[in-house]
Amino acid sequence: MSESQLDQLLAQQHNNEQAIIDVDEPVIKLVIFSLGEYYFAFPGLAIKEVLPGDEAVFFVPGMPASVEGVINLRGDIESVIRLHALLQLPSADEKNALPLTSILLARGTAMHSGLRVDRLLDVVDIVESQIQPPPDALPEYLRSYVTGLLDFTGLAVSVLDIDAVFAAWQKGQG
Amino acid sequence: MALDIKKFIGRFVEEAKDHLGRMSSGLSLLEQGAASTEEVNSLFRSAHTLKGSSRMLRLEPITQLAHSLEDLLSALREQQVQVNHAVMDALYQGVDALSDQVEQLIQQGQVAELSTTQSQLCQRLSGLAEGKEVLADTLASSAAIESEQPPRGPDTEVERSTPSLSTSDTVRIKLTKLDELIKLMGELISSHASMRDMAATAQRIEKQLQQQVEGELPLAMRQFSRDMRDIVLLQDNLTQELHDKALQLRMLPMAIVLDPAARLVRDMARTLGKQVECRVYGSEIELDRQMIDQLADPVIHLLRNALDHGIETPEVRQKAGKPAQGLLQIRARQDAGWVVVDIRDDGAGLSVDAIREKALKKGVFSGAVLEEMSDQQITDLIFMPGFSTSAIITEVSGRGVGMDVVKRSIVDELQGVISIQTSPGEGTCFTLRLPLSLAIMRVLLIRAGAQVLGFTAQYVSELLSVAPTALIRVADRNAVIIRNEFVPVIKLAELLHLPQETAPKKTLSRDAKNLLLLVIRVHTEKLAVQIDELLDERDLVIKQLPEHLRSNQLISGMVTTGQNQLVNLIHVPYVLDMARKTRQSTSTVVSSEYAKPKQRILVVDDSLNTREIERDVLEAWGYHVTLAEHGADGLQKALAEDFDAVLTDVEMPIMDGFTLTARLRENDNYRNKPIIIITSREKDSDRRRGIEVGADAYIVKGSFDQTSLVDTLKVLLD
Repeated sequence: MSESQLDQLLAQQHNNEQAIIDVDEPVIKLVIFSLGEYYFAFPGLAIKEVLPGDEAVFFVPGMPASVEGVINLRGDIESVIRLHALLQLPSADEKNALPLTSILLARGTAMHSGLRVDRLLDVVDIVESQIQPPPDALPEYLRSYVTGLLDFTGLAVSVLDIDAVFAAWQKGQG
Repeated sequence: MALDIKKFIGRFVEEAKDHLGRMSSGLSLLEQGAASTEEVNSLFRSAHTLKGSSRMLRLEPITQLAHSLEDLLSALREQQVQVNHAVMDALYQGVDALSDQVEQLIQQGQVAELSTTQSQLCQRLSGLAEGKEVLADTLASSAAIESEQPPRGPDTEVERSTPSLSTSDTVRIKLTKLDELIKLMGELISSHASMRDMAATAQRIEKQLQQQVEGELPLAMRQFSRDMRDIVLLQDNLTQELHDKALQLRMLPMAIVLDPAARLVRDMARTLGKQVECRVYGSEIELDRQMIDQLADPVIHLLRNALDHGIETPEVRQKAGKPAQGLLQIRARQDAGWVVVDIRDDGAGLSVDAIREKALKKGVFSGAVLEEMSDQQITDLIFMPGFSTSAIITEVSGRGVGMDVVKRSIVDELQGVISIQTSPGEGTCFTLRLPLSLAIMRVLLIRAGAQVLGFTAQYVSELLSVAPTALIRVADRNAVIIRNEFVPVIKLAELLHLPQETAPKKTLSRDAKNLLLLVIRVHTEKLAVQIDELLDERDLVIKQLPEHLRSNQLISGMVTTGQNQLVNLIHVPYVLDMARKTRQSTSTVVSSEYAKPKQRILVVDDSLNTREIERDVLEAWGYHVTLAEHGADGLQKALAEDFDAVLTDVEMPIMDGFTLTARLRENDNYRNKPIIIITSREKDSDRRRGIEVGADAYIVKGSFDQTSLVDTLKVLLD
């Protein structure tokens, strides 16, 4: 078999492979959690790690109210932010509910931080088509963060964009 | 001499690459119209720094390019030129040309002369800065010609010198890698603490086994626990040593910054037509690498300023009766955990009046505010952005960037302190006080309210335990007298709005009544903060806050203590600012209640704190107060204006209070005016001397309370 024949065969094979149609719908991993009485989700790519809610958080004086403090993550310092105010949710400051909460370590393009959530529900793979575009009736203050809506076992979950959330938080500080 | 330069070229290349990278990303932001003023500023500073450090190494072509870039960026910063296609194009070409030159430097160890294109580019950049458009096609055509010419003969040079950048006995490591190493060492040490706990547990089990079990098991356990203890001890030493070694990796001698500086001074002096001798002392002192890197820029700026504005031309110097040759001294010395660098010139000194006038013209402060400021405060104004007193812009300095860059690098980035001392006609001395390292510092751990906080040792002046009765109340707040000086006292927990302890711990009864005061200091200014408990003092590795939290100026970093606890490090200069603001807001309220015509009092004291407290007291009682820093200053002010009374300390530099009093009595205007001496000298002989020289009253600071001062004044003035 000459080399050119081999090339031809290889090229053919390559084309055949391309011809196979992917029948699986694209899926996206979502981290679903609750804040107050509402349910939200971040794309799995934005969340690096989930820490238990009783992780020691150290208070930092002079910080805005939304900064709960900082944690020592294997020698690195990460902030812990509460999103309640940003999303205009009542702040649940019952300390005895702390073990139920979690800290999501979120990484956006420009900043990373821990986020305190009231309860982590699940980490699931969701078919992308299941996510609906955000409705027009969405309140103004949520519109810039919510990229879609999802029905998750009967719960209405808003999918959030981590960069938009961080950008809004930083703007609120400046 | 030629070899001498080469040592520093490697460093320059790294720095230049850094700046060029930053500039290209800055330019793309600028092009997108997304650049803030701060980013334009930072572009400008990069060009400015490149200009400075390349001049230091006599890389003339790079200096020229950077200077032209700086021209255009300066015009952009001042908004004399708007961003458009031609401007962006020129800027990009400028940065590219700089990169080419730096590349050339890396490959051949030296820079090429500016090519025709490049010098035209320089003209175009400077032209654009003045608002002139240079036609781009003339450049394009000349570029075509240029490219036909072979690059300027590098062959002759390459043969002669061996590649100069390959220094054999050193390795350049990225600082981040080193930091990771140090971070891991820190983690290793804190995890090693738990090994020690395990050894202790093994020992406990050994004892229990001995009591409960017969046979070989206890013996085996005993052996195990002994081995374990030995190995833990051994590792203890090893990890500690490893940690120390890792930290030392970061240390470099200051010669890297200071030695080329001396040459820079000679070169610059020549361009300026001045004769200057530069002496460097203490260049063997070692500093953290990060500090060295960031120290170069401010030192160059300061030297440049000293040469340009400080030291006069030989003719002027001779007229003033000084030697024709000026003297510039750079003196580094170690002071406990600090390195102090003095940069002293024997030039004209700063003119307080010129600075005041300039501030007024720039509209930075109103005339009334400026009138109130002490000379020190006025000279500190030169650290404000865009503040340059030089009337003409020279190539060397005078654009008003230098000093704000200096202050920013020293105070914000290097956690240091900068201060100026100047006397007209005799010269100026800039003193930089720097920590040895930013990665590890001596930290004092304290408790205030329910919060554990850290103070880096450089700001800690002393710790005092005083009885509550030792506090004196002046102008609605507390103060304490520490060696002839009033120091304001403030509760730290209240100032920082810290959460209070829920259940106050029982302190030892012996100390229960005493107050614990931590005296913090930023050059001459002191503040005593009341704290609740002293916990520990040791060298700790400093960690930075995440970037999005750095706008909080109160916290300069975090440290990890045992059990992985995080503790906030307080940025003391900011605390002093906070304390000053709360103070000012109260004192103005009080003084505004008094509307009667004000009597004018001159307060002379060399301690800033004492002056300000006395001023606050007197202003609260409705007097108009002017401050003077020492006897001679006081005398000058007293003769220039008409005061109703003079208050003076005794021990002061230049002229003491007794002499001041005597001199004032010689003057017709002050023969009968009240002069009050306030001092900590309690001896009768001093008291007698005070009266002999003509003081009307002698108040000892220890017995000072504000009413006695005010009563005395009232009696004397009525």
